[in-house]
Amino acid sequence: MSRLLDIDGLTLELHDGTRLLEGISLSVAPGETVGLVGESGSGKSLTARTVLGLVPERSRLGGRVRLDGREVIGAPARDILDLRRHAAAMIFQDPRAGINPMRTIGDHLTETLRRCEGKSAAEARARAIELLADVQLPRPEEHFGQYPHEFSGGMLQRVMIAGALTSSPKLLICDEPTTALDVTTQAEIVRVLVELRERRGMGMLFITHDLNLAASLCDRVVVMSRGRVEESGDARRVFTAPEADYTRRLIEATPSIAVRSLDGEAEADASAPAGPMLEVRGLDKQYQLRGRPPVHAVVEAELEIPRGGSLGVVGESGSGKSTLARMIVGLEQPDRGEVRIAGRERSTAPRSRAERIAHAKSVQMVFQDPYLSLDPRIPAGRAIQDVLRLHGGLDRVAAEARALELLEAVGLGERHLAARPKTLSGGQRQRVAIARALAIEPELLVMDEATSALDVSVQAQVLDLVAQLRAQRGLTVLFISHDLGVVRRVCERAVVMRRGEIVEQGPSERLLREPEHPYTRLLVDSVPRPSWEAAA
Amino acid sequence: MTTPTPTLAVKVLRAPRAHRTSLVFAIACGVVAVMTLAAVFAPFVAPYPPDAVDFTAVNAGPSAAHWLGTDGLGRDLLSRLVFGARTALLGPLLVVIGSTIIGMLLGLLAGWRGGWIDAVLGRVFDVLFAFPSLLLAIMAVALFGKGLVAPVIAMSIAYAPFVARLTRALVKAERTRPYVAAYRVQGFGGAWIAFRRVLPNVTPIVGAQSTLNFGYVLAELAGLSFLGLGVQPPTPDWGAMINEAQSGVAGGYFLPAIVPAVAVVLVVVAVNIIGEELSDRIGGGVPA
Amino acid sequence: MALDSRTVSVAAREAAAEAPRRGRWSAAGVRRVAGKLGGLALTLFLASLLVFFSRFLVPGDPVSFLLRGRKPSPEAIAQVTAQYGLDLPPWQQYLNWLGGALTGDFGRSLQYRQDVSTVIGERLPVTLMLVVMSGILIAIVGLSAGVVAALNRGRPLDRLTLVGLTVLSAIPSFVGSIVLIAIFAVQLGWFPTFGSGQGFGDMVYHLVLPSIALAIVFVVLVGKVTRSSMVEQLGREHVEVATSRGLKRATVIRRHVFRNALGPILTVSGVLVAGLLVASTIVEAAFGLAGIGSLLVQSVDRLDFPVVQAIVMLVVTAFVVVNAIVDLTEPWIDPRSAAGASAR
Repeated sequence: MSRLLDIDGLTLELHDGTRLLEGISLSVAPGETVGLVGESGSGKSLTARTVLGLVPERSRLGGRVRLDGREVIGAPARDILDLRRHAAAMIFQDPRAGINPMRTIGDHLTETLRRCEGKSAAEARARAIELLADVQLPRPEEHFGQYPHEFSGGMLQRVMIAGALTSSPKLLICDEPTTALDVTTQAEIVRVLVELRERRGMGMLFITHDLNLAASLCDRVVVMSRGRVEESGDARRVFTAPEADYTRRLIEATPSIAVRSLDGEAEADASAPAGPMLEVRGLDKQYQLRGRPPVHAVVEAELEIPRGGSLGVVGESGSGKSTLARMIVGLEQPDRGEVRIAGRERSTAPRSRAERIAHAKSVQMVFQDPYLSLDPRIPAGRAIQDVLRLHGGLDRVAAEARALELLEAVGLGERHLAARPKTLSGGQRQRVAIARALAIEPELLVMDEATSALDVSVQAQVLDLVAQLRAQRGLTVLFISHDLGVVRRVCERAVVMRRGEIVEQGPSERLLREPEHPYTRLLVDSVPRPSWEAAA
Repeated sequence: MTTPTPTLAVKVLRAPRAHRTSLVFAIACGVVAVMTLAAVFAPFVAPYPPDAVDFTAVNAGPSAAHWLGTDGLGRDLLSRLVFGARTALLGPLLVVIGSTIIGMLLGLLAGWRGGWIDAVLGRVFDVLFAFPSLLLAIMAVALFGKGLVAPVIAMSIAYAPFVARLTRALVKAERTRPYVAAYRVQGFGGAWIAFRRVLPNVTPIVGAQSTLNFGYVLAELAGLSFLGLGVQPPTPDWGAMINEAQSGVAGGYFLPAIVPAVAVVLVVVAVNIIGEELSDRIGGGVPA
Repeated sequence: MALDSRTVSVAAREAAAEAPRRGRWSAAGVRRVAGKLGGLALTLFLASLLVFFSRFLVPGDPVSFLLRGRKPSPEAIAQVTAQYGLDLPPWQQYLNWLGGALTGDFGRSLQYRQDVSTVIGERLPVTLMLVVMSGILIAIVGLSAGVVAALNRGRPLDRLTLVGLTVLSAIPSFVGSIVLIAIFAVQLGWFPTFGSGQGFGDMVYHLVLPSIALAIVFVVLVGKVTRSSMVEQLGREHVEVATSRGLKRATVIRRHVFRNALGPILTVSGVLVAGLLVASTIVEAAFGLAGIGSLLVQSVDRLDFPVVQAIVMLVVTAFVVVNAIVDLTEPWIDPRSAAGASAR
């Protein structure tokens, strides 16, 4: 069988001797979609880029990479240009970064036609407009003269796809093409890709960290970790009966929205003692930007969490979920409405030091990006001690002992006391952030997308930690996330937000199983599912 | 063929570089240290008093008696160079200290508070930017007379906006970082966060820039003396020495001009290397 | 994947919301230009206050300040008092001065006994010529050094260029002048040591060494900014995308790297103009050129304050105007700035 892409024993070594790829083998046949899955640092992007000769400077390659019957490794520059122009094209992760912001959409689309194929301006324009229509952009003629900053992320990704198709490639390489997008936009982009693949009979190499996404559209998958192929084979076989340990762990760590039994709901009802811990009533916030219409970030939000309960807030970017969280912890002041934590009004800005400390004692927050939420200069132990001394008035020795206790409670140890954030991994940093929040012993813990910057396996560990701490300490948690699967894993109840409004709330399982609001249904339906389950 | 670096490789390639420049850096530090020591202990280091005249050696080349030769009046160039280091180094030092203190405080104020304070300070900086430092120094001389005092004050004012704008930008960026929000949520006060956490985080970058400023200021103050507006003869100063030696150059006596010129270049190169190395090293440690 | 029919229209709605903000000459664009011009006027006004009222920082009475170093006869005092309106209240003196300055009348020079504008007018061509020649030199050498270094980043040629630039950055114009005179004028005799020559060709010839001396430090500035701006762009994903599409490397560099790197280079060029005008004082002094730089030094030396004020105001105005022009060209360099979108 003639293969479109055939990679055999590919190795890649940097000039300093670091080996990034160790004997990768995979193949893609015409019309076939092969998924390349793995966590960050697994080398999946690097593998895909070698196909187009995009390798780090002064690196050494070994093995064979045959694209459309021609060898890529060691090929002269002229041949590489030809392969890039005719054999394969690539769609990148972040369309906002991937399209030159200083040139028009039209320029992006016609550039290769005019400069590589020698088409006239009019011909190239006609072809570009045709492609813009192919990726289902609403007004191709008008878009032609627009600049990237006038487009949303989803629209730009369509432009990127159209740009890749100008050369009518036989192989389309997609490098996490939907990771930067919301789940409903992801569903649209995937639909466009699937349709184009079928119409053109292209082979597709689809790189993603999202196993559900890979399962939804790939015929075969290749699982990578640390520069090696862990397992490869038919998608359904790999995901339902994984052979490699690594694959099994990855599958277990991946949150799913598949409907489970009903015990979740029962649990939620059992743990509802008297008096809510958090009460939000009629919370409203508008942002006034100069020269633009005001943005209504949060509209009359109402929610409640019982003592020891947990509530998820789900929404896409711009839904106002982060603004809601920031108002609850006091980083923003609401225009109207009130926030009561343990029965006390907490929506006005604290004026005195005592008020500030009382406010901090009532609610703490864990932020999204652990790389930015820790002070780069302050070691982990010191960060926790600072908080302890501010709140508890502990002396140095007592604070140090307590800091160690807290680090141990989140699964870190003595050697992390003096560690600066940059020496810690993402998961470790998020543990430090949680320990720091717990040091204050807050009544409510707000987690704002606290695991979305982490790899799935690390995310699973952090989520387990949160569950464990809740069981041990009876912590009340407000969990903000874009990921339905993650929310379901942590929270008994959830609310769904869209454009500042809470459109639906209820037990998490119920929202997944029988969403009432059309938007919730759209959200649930947009989450990718394995193709064999969807068919069933 | 070269191609851009993919994501994983980017991380690998941007890992902290080995200390390949440490030798050059050490030499630069050595040059600055030697010059500083020479300036401080000038009377003990210099073989002659700076204005001692040797009539037997006028415009003489290097010899055992005069290692670097003599100038048109028969004064020992090495001695004048050593004493000249005092004004050459002291002026820039004062300017850098003054401008850094003023600039950091104003920059912190503007960047942290924002709002109308930022707007007003921004306008003040804009106006001061329109006056290049040397121009402001020349104007100060026109007003208050020749010497080093007025130019040093004028240059401190002229350089402060550069420091302030840098500090402001850094503080503004820092202020939006989640770690600052985290401090707020933990109950720390604004002033504590600004002075105890944000300021120390931006200080290394500002410090590296101020180090580079030292070189520029040294060159400009020496230039002012070269124009005859700064340090006045017979006080030894590198710029003034070049000015005095100018007529000799046309007659083919290069040494009296070249010796202080080399000193200026040497110190400025050394300071620039130190400044660039510092900002390189810091560049890796600060969150992007 | 089942999809709600309304999602399909999301893209359309977004596009509709974006549509009215298009076009460079939109209302927002006009407002932006007006705002910049207002800012320019305000900055110039505040600068003029500083230039004029700086005189009042000096203790003592204004007449003896203006006549420092001269032996004032009672008639001279009376004449100066009347001429500069020193008996008027300060704000009125300022308005008179400003009114004159706006029409090109900066009063009379104390040393030349001529109108300040005449004295400056005679000296301006040499300085402008010097600045223009230096500017051309800086653009050619600085840009090429930066581009060469950026395209070879991390390689020996890059390091060599950087070392070269670091050394050049430490050569102040007076050192450069002395060395160039010593080597090319005195030793080799290729160029004159002194004066600005007669006629255009001769003037260019006379200004070769001075313009090189003036350019040295600024070449470094442009070179370093070009390099870092290009290196930054080279690491951007859109460059990788362009490469992946089979464009030739030269095309990628020209259309995606250099083009996008222009912004910071242009900004630095704006700052450069005032720097050149001021640094020319030193070069003109070293080469004995009769430009406004040497006039400034002479006027400070001879306590001719009206001329100092006029030259300072001239340089400041040049700086502010050039920077405003650079600012206004920004939307052509980066279309995002026209829409007020944040740069990234």
